[in-house]
Amino acid sequence: MGWGAVSAELALWGALAAPIAQALLVLVLPRPPGLRDTLHILFACAGAGCAFYLVVAVAGGEGARMVLARPLPDVDLAFSAEPLGALIAALILGLGAPHAMHTAGMVRATREKAPARLMAFCALAIAAAVAVALSANLFSLFVASQALIVATFPLVAHPGDEDSRRAAGIFLGTLFASSIGLFLPAMVWTYAISGALEFQPGGVFVGGIDAITANVLLTLFVLGLAMTAIPPMHGWLRASTRAPFPGLVSIYALAIFPAGGVGLLKIAAFVFGPALNDAALAARALMVLAGVGMCVAALLALSKQDLRERLAYSCVAQSLAVVIGALLALPAGLFAAALQIVALSCAAATLLMAAGTVAAVTGRVNAADYAGLGRVMPWTFAGFALAAASMIGMPPFSGAWAKLWLITAAAASGLVWAAALVGVAAVLTFAHLGPLAANALAAKAPADAFKRPDGASILLAVPVLVSALATLWLLVLANPLAVFLAPIWTPRP
Amino acid sequence: MFGLFLDWARPHAALIVFAAPLAGAALAVLAPMARLAWLIAAVCAIAAAVVALDFAARGLSGGGGDGAGLFATALVACCAAAALVGAGALLTDWGPRAGRYALALALCVGAGWSGALLAPDLVGVFLAAETAWLASVALVALSGERDRGALNGALGMLGAGGVASALFVLGIGLIGRGVGTLQLAALPAVQIAMPGLAATGVGLVLAALALKAGVAPLHVWVGAAYGRAGGFASLVLGAVGAVGALAALVRVAAFAIPAPAIGAGVAMSLAGLGAASVVVGSLQAIGASNLRRLAAYAGAAQAGAVLISAALGSMAGFAAALVQLFAMAAVAIVLLGGGAALGGVQALHLLNGLGRRAPFTAAAISLGGLSLMGAPLTIGFLGRWRLIEAGVGAGWWWAAGAAIAASLAGVFYCGRLIERLYVRRAAAAFTGGDNPWRLALAPALLAGVGAIGLGLAPDGLLRAAAAAAAQLWDGAP
Repeated sequence: MGWGAVSAELALWGALAAPIAQALLVLVLPRPPGLRDTLHILFACAGAGCAFYLVVAVAGGEGARMVLARPLPDVDLAFSAEPLGALIAALILGLGAPHAMHTAGMVRATREKAPARLMAFCALAIAAAVAVALSANLFSLFVASQALIVATFPLVAHPGDEDSRRAAGIFLGTLFASSIGLFLPAMVWTYAISGALEFQPGGVFVGGIDAITANVLLTLFVLGLAMTAIPPMHGWLRASTRAPFPGLVSIYALAIFPAGGVGLLKIAAFVFGPALNDAALAARALMVLAGVGMCVAALLALSKQDLRERLAYSCVAQSLAVVIGALLALPAGLFAAALQIVALSCAAATLLMAAGTVAAVTGRVNAADYAGLGRVMPWTFAGFALAAASMIGMPPFSGAWAKLWLITAAAASGLVWAAALVGVAAVLTFAHLGPLAANALAAKAPADAFKRPDGASILLAVPVLVSALATLWLLVLANPLAVFLAPIWTPRP
Repeated sequence: MFGLFLDWARPHAALIVFAAPLAGAALAVLAPMARLAWLIAAVCAIAAAVVALDFAARGLSGGGGDGAGLFATALVACCAAAALVGAGALLTDWGPRAGRYALALALCVGAGWSGALLAPDLVGVFLAAETAWLASVALVALSGERDRGALNGALGMLGAGGVASALFVLGIGLIGRGVGTLQLAALPAVQIAMPGLAATGVGLVLAALALKAGVAPLHVWVGAAYGRAGGFASLVLGAVGAVGALAALVRVAAFAIPAPAIGAGVAMSLAGLGAASVVVGSLQAIGASNLRRLAAYAGAAQAGAVLISAALGSMAGFAAALVQLFAMAAVAIVLLGGGAALGGVQALHLLNGLGRRAPFTAAAISLGGLSLMGAPLTIGFLGRWRLIEAGVGAGWWWAAGAAIAASLAGVFYCGRLIERLYVRRAAAAFTGGDNPWRLALAPALLAGVGAIGLGLAPDGLLRAAAAAAAQLWDGAP
C-alpha cells in the first residue's frame, strides 16, 4: 500500500471523525465561549480539509476504505471513498466550515441558552450526513441514516417547549417509520436476492431481477428514504421548521436533504444500475409523484410568510428534482441529480444563514418585513440574492446548470412532461424568492431595522457571503465534475 | 484452579447446572447473615453459569445433541447469575430473613428452568418448570412485605400457574397416548399412531409454557406481578423466569415441529400465537405507564417474534429464535435491572430528566431501549434481521412484516422513553439512586454494553445459534 492510499485512508478517517471530535470537544469544553467557538470552527475547517484532500485523492485514482465492524455475515459497517461520496462529503464539510462560524455568531447574537448542545448536534448531524455519503454498502447507509435521524432530532426539539417536543416526535416518527417500515425490508430483500449489499457500479443485481420485484423494491427504497421529502413521506418537514436557524441550516442544507439525495443516487447507481430499466413503471410513477410534489411545494412556499417555512418548502422543491434525476435511469440524469444536490446545499445554506442573520439582528422572520432590509444589511442580502438566483435556476449560478442538465436528460429520455414540471417548479420558485429578494434590496430602508445597535457581526455576515460565492463554482467546475463522476455510471469491466 | 474445577465438573455438568443453585439455595437460607447468604448465592449461581457455558460450548461443537437445550441452559444460567450478583445491592428491599429466602427462591427459579431445559422427557420438563414457577410465585409474594399489592400479583400467578399445570398434565397424557413415548428426542422420528391426539397434547403443553412465559394474550398475570413486585423479584421474573419458560417452549417446539404428522399444525399454532403476542404486547407496551410493565409487555412482543421464528420450522428460523431469545434476555436484564437500581422510581413520568440525575442508569435503560426498538448495531437488530431473512427465505412475508411492526412499535415506546430521559425536564424530586458502582446497576450496564458489543461483533453468538439449530436438524428425520 503506497503513501497515497494511506493518506487517502487518513483523509477518510478525518472526514468522518472531525465533526464527531468537534461535537465532543464543544460539549466537554463549553466554557469559555471563545475556546468553544474556536474549537467548533477549527474542527469544521479540519473536516473540510480532509474532505477536499479526499476528493483530490479520488480524482487521482486512489481509493480508501475503512471497516468498523462486521455486524452481519458478509456485511461490513464500512465507509469508502468513491467519486460521488467524496464529492458530497466535500460539499457538506466545505459548507460546514462557514456554517460553524455562523453558528458561533448566532449563539452569541441570540444569547442562546444551550449553545454547546446546539453546536454539538449540528456537528453530529454533519458527521452522520458525511457517513451516509461515504457509506460503502446499503447496511452502512441504513445505519448512517438512522444516526442522522437521531442526531437531527435534538435540533428540532432544541427550543424545549411542548410544541417543539411534539414536532420533534413527528419528525422522528415519520423518518424512523419510513426507514424501518420501508427501507429495512427493501434492504433485507435485496440481501436475500443478491446475497450482497456492497455498492458497486452496475448494481448488485448481477444476475438480473424480475420486473415485479424491481418495481416493488424501487418503490420501497425511494419512499423509505423519506429524507428526500417525497410525498407522502414528507410529514417531518413542517415539524422540522421548529428548529432554530443553525439547526435549520444543518437539517435542510447540510444533512437531511443532501443525505437523502446522495442515498437515492447510490441506490440508483450502485444497487440498481441497469436494473433500473426493469423498474420503469415504478420509476415513472415516483417521478410523477416527485414532479407534482415539486410544484405543489413551490406553490406552498409562495403561501408562507414565515421565512423558515417558505425556505423549507422551497428546499423540498429542489430536493424532489434530485429524485427525478436519479430515477431517469440515464448517466445524464444521475449527473444532473448530483449537480442539483450541490446547488441545493449551497443555495439553501446561504438563504438560511442569511435569514438567521436577519432574525438575530433585526428579529424579523416574516417575508413581508424584509422590505428594504438589503439597504441596511447589504452584504447579507447580496448573498441572499445570489442564493435565491441559484435556487430559481438563473445562469450562471449552480442551480442553472443542474436544471439545464435535468431538463435535457428528461427530454432525452422522452419524458417531456418531467422536463416541463422542472420548468414550472423553477417559475414558481422565482415567484416565491425573486420578489422577496428584489423587495429587500430595492425598497426603502426601514428606520428601526436593528434590534442590536451594532448590526450583524463578522461571524454572521462572512459565512453568508462565502457560501453565496460557492453557488458560482459550477460555472467553472461542471465539466471536470462530469469527468470526476463518470465512474459512478460506468460499470467495472 | 479454574481448570481443575472445570475438569471436575465436566462429567457431571448437567447435574451441577441443576443442583448447584439448589444447594446454594439451601445454604443461603441457613446462612446467619444476609450478606453471607448473598455471597453463597452469587458464588453458586456463577459456578452454575460457568459450568453451563462450558457444557454448551462442548456440546455445540459436537453433533446430534439437544442444541436448543444447551444454548438456552447457558443463557438462563447466565441470566440467573447476573440477577444474583446484582441482588447484593437490593437486599434492603426485604428484611434480613426475607432477603435470604428471596435469594434462595431466585436460585430455585434458575435451577428449575435450567432443569426444564435439560430434562430428556416431558415429565421432567413439567416437574422442573413447576419448581421454577412456584419459586417465582413465592418470590413475588415475598415483596408483599413492603407492598401488599404484590400479594395480588402472586395470587394471579398462582391461579394462572394452576391452569397452566392442568394444561401441561393433560397435554402430557395426550402425548403419551398419541405418541407412545414422552421422550422429547424421540418425537421427530417416532411413528405417531394418533396424530390428532398428539398434536392437541403438544398444543396444550406449548400453551402452558406460553402462559408461564408471559406470551400475550395468555399473560393475564403479568401486569399485577411485574407492576407490584419489588425490583429484584421483577428482574428474576423477567430475565430468568420468562426467558426460561420461553426457551423451554422453543425447545419442545423444536422437537415437535420436525415430526411429520404433527409439525405443520404445531407450527401454525405457534405462528398465530406469536403474531398475536407481537401485536398485543406492542400495543400494551405503548400504553404502559410504568417501567416494569413496559419491560414485561415489550418482552411479550419479543416473545412473539421468537415464536414466529421457531414456527418457521427451518434451521434458519430456529437460529433466529435463539438469537432473539438472547436479545430478549439482554433487554430484560437492562430494563428490569436498571429499574431495580432506581428503587421505587418506576412510573414513567418520574423518569423525566433522568439523564441528568442518574446518567449511568439512564444510559443502561437507553441501550436496552435501542436494542428493543431494533436499532442497527444492537443485538435486537440482529435478531430482527435474522427473523426477516428467515421469513423472506421461507416466503412468510407476514413474518417479516410482524418483525418490522414490532420494531416500529418499539421505536414509539422506547423513543418516548428515551425522550423522557434526555429531553424532558424533571418536574418532581428524585428519590432513586445512581451509583455506578452499586452492584444493582452492574448487570444492567454490562448487559447494555453487551447488547451493543454483540451487535457490532456477533460472530460468536451467530455461530452458537447456528450450531444449536444445526444439531436439532441433525436429529430430525
